[in-house]
Amino acid sequence: MIRCENIKVTFNAGLATEKRALRGVDLEIPQAEFVTVIGSNGAGKSTLLNTIAGDIRASSGGLFFDEANVTAVSAAGRTRDVARVFQDPLAGTCGNMTVEENMALAYGRGKRGGLAPALNDDLRDLFREQLKRLNLGLENRLGAEMGLLSGGQRQSVSLLMSALQPSKILLLDEHTAALDPKTAALVMDITDQIVEEKKLTVMMVTHSMRQALDHGTRTIMMHEGKVMFDLAGEERSQYDVKDLLNLFAKARGDGEELDDDKLLLGA
Amino acid sequence: MSLFSFLGTLEIGFIFGLVAIGVYLTFRVLDFPDLTVDGSFTMGAAIAAALIISGVNPYIATVCATFGGAAAGMVTAWLNLRFNILHLLASILTMTALYTINLRIMGKPNLALIMEDTVLTPFEALGIPNMYVKLIFVAVVVVLVGLAISYFMKTQYGMAMRATGANPRMAQANGIVIKEKIYAGLALSNGLVALAGALFAQTNGFADSTMGIGTIVVGLAAVIVGESLFGSRSMLVIIFSCIIGSLLYRLAVSVALNADFLGFTASDLNLITAVLVGLALIVPHLRREQKARKAAAVGGEA
Repeated sequence: MIRCENIKVTFNAGLATEKRALRGVDLEIPQAEFVTVIGSNGAGKSTLLNTIAGDIRASSGGLFFDEANVTAVSAAGRTRDVARVFQDPLAGTCGNMTVEENMALAYGRGKRGGLAPALNDDLRDLFREQLKRLNLGLENRLGAEMGLLSGGQRQSVSLLMSALQPSKILLLDEHTAALDPKTAALVMDITDQIVEEKKLTVMMVTHSMRQALDHGTRTIMMHEGKVMFDLAGEERSQYDVKDLLNLFAKARGDGEELDDDKLLLGA
Repeated sequence: MSLFSFLGTLEIGFIFGLVAIGVYLTFRVLDFPDLTVDGSFTMGAAIAAALIISGVNPYIATVCATFGGAAAGMVTAWLNLRFNILHLLASILTMTALYTINLRIMGKPNLALIMEDTVLTPFEALGIPNMYVKLIFVAVVVVLVGLAISYFMKTQYGMAMRATGANPRMAQANGIVIKEKIYAGLALSNGLVALAGALFAQTNGFADSTMGIGTIVVGLAAVIVGESLFGSRSMLVIIFSCIIGSLLYRLAVSVALNADFLGFTASDLNLITAVLVGLALIVPHLRREQKARKAAAVGGEA
């Protein structure tokens, strides 16, 4: 479970460039819920995710995983509970290390790195078996340098890596945005499989309304650093992309037409 | 070149192989250009010499020298990580401070070890000619250290260190405490360089306050020579190419200085080094450009 209590994040506080990225987020996500997060650029989606991951410290407010207060825990310290996949396929892996070395790093997540060899044949078998799920033939390329793989392949491997260690929370930051539609569909497929299998609590930021409604069990929309609306259950299942857009316009209270092409066109 | 000077060249080549491994760890693995080594090389020599002269066992003195260098590396890491001082500048500050500290350790600018026991003393009694003993001793030490470091780079801890340099964000997302890895990496690197300084002082019979000048360039030269000859991904090959790079660099310099028709003298060493390092950097770059031009030409025809 993730619980955010009135989380505020302000960048460059006190300066002319001050930016209030989160203006008091209250959110409770029960165990094994899959939440999709939408909102226009600058709404605070990524800031919220980075705050939960620990990359950004909250200026005020509290963050809890289950009942543990993790507000002051470092990003590395939170990785026992949190796994993540980034938007940029290059960000989630080390390009100058091999596929198996990258996977070994992820396998060691949340454990103290010791002086035992990071790789052995048992691990290689495990990695091979995991890579087979992707159907990309990567199970035969354990020793290939990560930098030689395509963006889609790297992102798929990042996703597998995030699930190598048991964790409670999976944070996906537009992890299919940089992929071609076919690869994006494959990656989403595997995402659903892994989430189902491991009963993870998931937050997925996406720019695609379609994706936001098709995946997961709950959708929240952020606007100007706050959770604007929160859709779940029966109500959510009756929504389609058009309704979502109307709701957004209404919630803003200005009846203004939505001009964010990405929100409209995202398939 | 006489046999004696050839063996001497190899001996120094092996010792600077340790420097090359240290430089590889900071420049390549951690992506942290660290100039502390100019100071920590001298520091290793100074601590070893001062302790040996005051009657400490040479092996204990050598271990102390290694830890002294490691501490110097951690000071640089601290300046960078705690106070956000640019890595290059932080290491220059430490290096400058070490010059004074080394003079204090030695008490005077130069210490002679000719009459003292060294790490070599137990082996000199074996009856092998002295000039071979030194070479065999340093070769064995350096090869053992090389094996240990290439094993280390494949452990969980070593791999975490590599990830820290290659992609800090990914490293952190996988639970790696990157600051700790940078402290450890700089300590390890400068510890190796100080060990090289301690061995150099004992095989050459002196420690001098200015002996560390240019250590970084020599180390970097060895790394680059090794890299351009062996473009491998295997950690074992990479670490040993640092050592071989150091040997080849020393031989090249020695040949250049010994070839009378070239007219070089010992004082030309720095220019020769700069030209060698420059060439090692320029040639691969030109080759890449040529390749790219060829590829573009082929693409244009198609």
